[in-house]
Amino acid sequence: MKGLFCRLLVALIFFSFLLNSCSEKQDFDQFEDLSITPTLASGIFYLESDEATINAAGDVGVFYAQTVNFDAFNEEFVAERLLEGTIHYELENTTSKRLGITIEFLDEDGNVLDVESFTVEPNMPEVFTRDVFYGPGGKSIDILTTTSSLRIRGGNLSDSTSVSSTSDPKVKLSSGAEFLFRLK
Amino acid sequence: MRKGIRLIFVVWLGMHALCAQNKQLLYDFNEIPQALMLNPGVKTSEKWHVGIPLLSGLSFQAGTSGVTVNDLFADDGIDFTTKVRERVLDAMTRKDDFSTTSQVEGFYVGFRGRNRPDDYYSFGMYGETDIIVYWPKDLALLAFEGNGGANIGRSFDLGDLSLRGEMVNVFHFGVNRKISNDLTVGARAKLYSSVFQFQSIHNAGSFRTSPGQNNVYVSSMVADMELQTAGVKGFYDILDEDTSTTTKDLTSLFTKRVLLGGNLGLGFDAGFSYNLNPQTTITASILDVGFIYNSKDIQNYTLRGNASTEGITVFLPEDINDVNNDLWQELVDDIEESLPYEENSSGYISLRPVKVYGSIRYDFGEENGRSLENCGCGVNMERGGGMSGIYRNSVGGQLFLMKRPRGIQPALTGFYQKRLGRTLSLKTTYTVDKYSWTNIGLGLNLQAGPVNFYVLGDNLLSYRNVADSHYASLQFGFNIISWNDN
Repeated sequence: MKGLFCRLLVALIFFSFLLNSCSEKQDFDQFEDLSITPTLASGIFYLESDEATINAAGDVGVFYAQTVNFDAFNEEFVAERLLEGTIHYELENTTSKRLGITIEFLDEDGNVLDVESFTVEPNMPEVFTRDVFYGPGGKSIDILTTTSSLRIRGGNLSDSTSVSSTSDPKVKLSSGAEFLFRLK
Repeated sequence: MRKGIRLIFVVWLGMHALCAQNKQLLYDFNEIPQALMLNPGVKTSEKWHVGIPLLSGLSFQAGTSGVTVNDLFADDGIDFTTKVRERVLDAMTRKDDFSTTSQVEGFYVGFRGRNRPDDYYSFGMYGETDIIVYWPKDLALLAFEGNGGANIGRSFDLGDLSLRGEMVNVFHFGVNRKISNDLTVGARAKLYSSVFQFQSIHNAGSFRTSPGQNNVYVSSMVADMELQTAGVKGFYDILDEDTSTTTKDLTSLFTKRVLLGGNLGLGFDAGFSYNLNPQTTITASILDVGFIYNSKDIQNYTLRGNASTEGITVFLPEDINDVNNDLWQELVDDIEESLPYEENSSGYISLRPVKVYGSIRYDFGEENGRSLENCGCGVNMERGGGMSGIYRNSVGGQLFLMKRPRGIQPALTGFYQKRLGRTLSLKTTYTVDKYSWTNIGLGLNLQAGPVNFYVLGDNLLSYRNVADSHYASLQFGFNIISWNDN
């Protein structure tokens, strides 16, 4: 009888040990403080033209003019979370032309929200770059979140007969963006 | 909404802080009838046993090979985002997992053959839920850091996404046979009745953003991804309808699925115990070699293909006549065409997670004849007509292997078992696996007359701070046992 009592006592102590587990104080409200702000990068627009096409537009002519739908930033999910960012432009011109290129940011009604203009000298020895910052201290982020389309114009500011001595002369406009989003 | 997300996150951490189906305390704990479920060839000594319905075998296991709840939610004044970065994103690898396993025995009965007393038959039904989610490291980094900044040029592995889960009801029938005084073998047939199953285990692909050939950046994605689900949509549809009969409908569907009304499968267990000498025994078993054919209530999701984009591109003079101003939408359409997200309802076979146990045990401290006379020992305890082979102590080692989506998951256990007369038996284990190197467990089996009660607790050191535990498990149950000479 005494042995059985001892064994039951052992069992009781064991079970009590299992039940009497402890835990440090936890604060699950901390989840509200979680900040997830990834930097997203993407190519935006690329324009490339050979010299013959520019010449074909004539003296001081527009060799490219197009309005393209661009809803990347004004999608609700993106627009609500866009914090800041930079659009990076690169221009390369190996033609014999002096060129003027403009990119206009248009809202849904076609109103111009912002303009980025480039004057490109002929036979540029190096790639021209420009970074445009949107957000605190820079241009308004609202420009991007309300942009619905881009109007791109490429104009020849030179004659329409000269030909570059370089092989395969071209003008290239490339652009890409890096933006900070708040996912949480 | 925020509360919902927070709840999901906490539940996710809590639930998925579960792991491994290793039941090292129960394995080869011959005094407990449920040991027969881990090795059909275990030595049995009962005349019959009946588990108390729904209470004969309950087991819940919890663990995580990576971050613990305490790591993140301890009230330590450290910024939460910093903790997530340092303790989750920087510390966890794609090999880390969260998983949950729970088992509830519906009923479990065993009896010795009247004409063949060397045979012990057992049958029953239990429900099992098993979910494993590997840490999708690259996808988490992509969400947290993005593809820009320092990650330009980095390839994110889409194959990091790997998960599998199921809830299944198992009907089983097993035969345990004493072949000789030294050898006992057993096998168990299983009929699986699936409640739900989902898996996404063969994903491959990558996402990369790098300096483009033409434009500033090019983003490329190659994907061969699939999520297969069976039985999930039915529950989702009921919840989505959210009518006054939702609870009733859920119960009805659950009951139907549990009772063979859903997807079915077959499987088996096998095992043996062999005495190398009167005091040394080796055992081994293989469990859940089986499959479920999922053909009902199927909903699969695929993302297969490859796409690359540098943004909107215009080449002159080739595109001079393209006056379409929907170039952005064209770009999106092209990507969706190259990388289609599709749904289908094709049936599929899901394999059960196979488990293997092995052990070697050395018994010592033989009981004297007096206690053996009333020990209630069964046929397997008798040797050559005499009573011998009951030892007060056992020591040994166990090996556990389990097939997981990313390979075999091993665990190594050393154990010591102490029998205190007929009524009480204790077993303690030390286990090393990917979840813990300090896992000390303690099991207790109490036989009070015909009533059997057992409780097995794992990783007891972690009970000092459960929230900081990488692993915890608890099993307990009640049985009624009749011994051979009772």
